[in-house]
Amino acid sequence: MSYIPIGPLHPGIKEPLRIKLKTEGERVVDAEVDLGYMYRGVEQIARGKPWQKVAYLAERVCGICSDTHPRALIEGLERIADCVPPLRAQYSRVIIGELNRIHSHLIANAIYFLALEHETLGIYLLNIREKVMDLLEMISGNRVLYSWNLVGGVRMDFKDSHLKKILENLREVEDHVTRYRKMFKTGPLLGLRSRDIGKLSKEDAIDVRAVGPVARASGVKFDWRTKHPTYVDYFDFEPVWRDECDNYARVMMRFDETLESIKIIRRAVNELPSGPIRKDCDIPRGSIDYRYEAPRGELVYIFETANHGIIKDITIRTPTVPNLEACAKHMFKDSPTISDAVAIYQTIDPCMACTERVVILDENNKKEEFRSFFDVSSRKGSGEKSVDKQTKI
Amino acid sequence: MIKDFIRKRSINICLVCTGGCNGCDIEVAALLSQRYDLEQYGIYLHNNPRECDAMVVTGTVSKQWQEKLVELYNKVPEPKAVVAIGACALSGGIFQQEGEKVGAPVSNHIPVDAEVPGCPPRPAEIASAVLKYVPVALANYRRKS
Repeated sequence: MSYIPIGPLHPGIKEPLRIKLKTEGERVVDAEVDLGYMYRGVEQIARGKPWQKVAYLAERVCGICSDTHPRALIEGLERIADCVPPLRAQYSRVIIGELNRIHSHLIANAIYFLALEHETLGIYLLNIREKVMDLLEMISGNRVLYSWNLVGGVRMDFKDSHLKKILENLREVEDHVTRYRKMFKTGPLLGLRSRDIGKLSKEDAIDVRAVGPVARASGVKFDWRTKHPTYVDYFDFEPVWRDECDNYARVMMRFDETLESIKIIRRAVNELPSGPIRKDCDIPRGSIDYRYEAPRGELVYIFETANHGIIKDITIRTPTVPNLEACAKHMFKDSPTISDAVAIYQTIDPCMACTERVVILDENNKKEEFRSFFDVSSRKGSGEKSVDKQTKI
Repeated sequence: MIKDFIRKRSINICLVCTGGCNGCDIEVAALLSQRYDLEQYGIYLHNNPRECDAMVVTGTVSKQWQEKLVELYNKVPEPKAVVAIGACALSGGIFQQEGEKVGAPVSNHIPVDAEVPGCPPRPAEIASAVLKYVPVALANYRRKS
């Protein structure tokens, strides 16, 4: 029995995090996760600021899903104000959101293949991702942070040349991603490293409340896009899911969702309605619990506003929090080698920048303790309440 | 002498993320793709401080990193250089607010040789900053011993 620390700085892990693996020989028996390296106090800064500043800040909670965070905040504010944005704005939100999802899924899979030391596929995926980044830069002006959503609409309009370029690049992305998916599906060595490793059964996934591609790869057929009005009314969205429950399923999920997103964007571009892109809304006093599907899973924004859109209080729960719990509790168990443990950790598509939420001050001992939001919520038992709230929306 | 000459032409960089939004880190990861192809310029990206020539630091230096960043810097073999990337590493960006205790900028903790502004900077800018200024910084480095 020995302990092997991984991180905070490790070649296989791009973001700072310490994983302490308890091993018997090469086999991993148990794991502990130590957080706190990325804590910046986003919620503390957001309190008492107008929504324009908070949207700017929400975008910087996470640089990879940087469309989803401000979108969840702003759609929540719109729901408080009872304000439905014009149809063209809704469609353009779908286009940017799905492009963002494609680039997030491609980089997640690329980093998984780099962690397996299969550099060919990893670098192919990074290269095809640049086509998507080009589209995002052409449309919004920045490669990573788009500032696309505003209350009542979006910031800019598409030009005809933009739409043509989107279809052109997406055709190329679809061809390549289909080919890489086949390479992963049929590659014998990749299969050996991926199949039957990092098992998360459906019961365990529900027990730790895993979300997003991690849950859908374990047979939990749920996606918040099926509850989103734009997707329900205009896109006939059906979630993709698999039931293999292992690393292979999770990586395959991301390839499948990429192809699904390409179909959604193509439909949105072809059916894009004309009309205004923004309308006026005044935000009254109110509170909301708004959930939306980020590339990594369920994203929760619970906030309270004063008149004219001043944010009084805000709580953000990001998808990596429960997924990390699933990873530490169930997936690391019986991982054959330590390099597999690093690969398992990459399949949950961790985003530590999102996850660091809470710092606990112990005044008596003058000690600071870093915890994720999940630890605190499960200790108080408020995790159960949030499940009840899910059904309301 | 020869060692210094060679090291100027093959730069190993160590990416240290000290608590930003990840935007700068994915732009550094994008440099690996064939479009930019970092390795054709003789730059190799990995995360081992004991083998690297230059540290690339992103993010506001959060509380847990403040001592560890100095420790990491001391582990890098001499001569060494530091490139700070992004608004967070240069000034704290949006996270440097009243009542918050982020340790930005990075130059408060370790000496910084090159700064790349932007939120986030483009991959080409990062690559050109490393290529232009790291050899100069390595040549001008004054050894402690």
